[in-house]
Amino acid sequence: MRLKSRHLNHIAIFVLFGKLVSMPAMAHDPVFGLGPHVLFKGGVEIAPEVKQVKAGDKDKTELALELTYGLTGDWAAGIDIPYIDQSNGSNSASGQGDLSVFTKYRFWRDDGPGLQQSMAVALQIETDTGDDAVNSGSTDGVLGLTYGYEGRKWYRWAAARYRFNGENDAGAQQGDKLLLDLVGGIRMKRTGYLEPDTVWILELNGESTQNTQLNGLDQLNSGGTEWFVSPGIFWTKRNFAVKAGIQVPVASNLNGNQQETDYRAKLVLEWHL
Amino acid sequence: MKFFIKNTLMSLLLLSAMSHNAFADTSTYSIRVDGLACPYCAYGIEKKLNAIEGVKFMNMNLDEGIVTVKTQNVTLGDEQLKQLFNDSGFTYRSKKVSQTKESSK
Repeated sequence: MRLKSRHLNHIAIFVLFGKLVSMPAMAHDPVFGLGPHVLFKGGVEIAPEVKQVKAGDKDKTELALELTYGLTGDWAAGIDIPYIDQSNGSNSASGQGDLSVFTKYRFWRDDGPGLQQSMAVALQIETDTGDDAVNSGSTDGVLGLTYGYEGRKWYRWAAARYRFNGENDAGAQQGDKLLLDLVGGIRMKRTGYLEPDTVWILELNGESTQNTQLNGLDQLNSGGTEWFVSPGIFWTKRNFAVKAGIQVPVASNLNGNQQETDYRAKLVLEWHL
Repeated sequence: MKFFIKNTLMSLLLLSAMSHNAFADTSTYSIRVDGLACPYCAYGIEKKLNAIEGVKFMNMNLDEGIVTVKTQNVTLGDEQLKQLFNDSGFTYRSKKVSQTKESSK
């Protein structure tokens, strides 16, 4: 019973806040959206990252370590280990986030001189392993499909993701979420292999969330649609990369009484070994 | 007599050292690779090429889609290169090889 009431408190926070939906971004993928990049066979990617969300008087900061391994030249898998610190007005909580396992398979690749087009599917399972104070208490998943065009100067990506959420012990289930991404990128200056390289990115990210349910009943102050415009940068040198971006809401249609997102920010450091 | 033997032995040693170490077969590969759009993504190529014994130098010209590799006493075959670039996430197209004898010292 104690567990149940604790879960209900957490549900209240999640109904208001929701979860960050972030699938691992590898190499020259968008900062917030999903791209088709994987990792070379036998390669290891180490990526510490920090994400922050602010919505009214609510803040959420997530520190995470992503580890990815290249199974083949077109197939990668890894884990994401997050730590979460969040507050809602005067209430705050922090702790280990749910550990995720993920995989991405590039099923189509068309290479030309200085050009690569590809498509990939991605799957992420978020296990119910984190501290109760900062997690939903359910096992959730994200399935994604993405296309990418990468040239020496221009980049473009498109992706769709669907997040399906499980039900926790208290009978609460966050609403499923559909995400759409349209992204463009430009490399202003073509650089050589060992020179520092910069790509500027502009993303349009849409999110449509269903109502959270508690024992099968829709929670009115949950769900809705948000669109973000997200400028970002991708800076690399040989096997090291820095990715950063900020999501700025441009349209919002949230159900009931909910605080709209002020911004989301993300910074990733990435090494390929 | 003693002087003659000493000189002969010295000469043989010198000749032996020169014939063994002075020159090596050096090959320069100019490899046409498709899909080379970003330098960061191409790091796997560098790592895989440098793991081959005998590879002494590599560089990439992304604009021209050319990977240049210098090797000593090793041959890179088409099948090997096709697999290597595929495992790196790119497509091997063709190669040109030029061979020279170079001093290894």
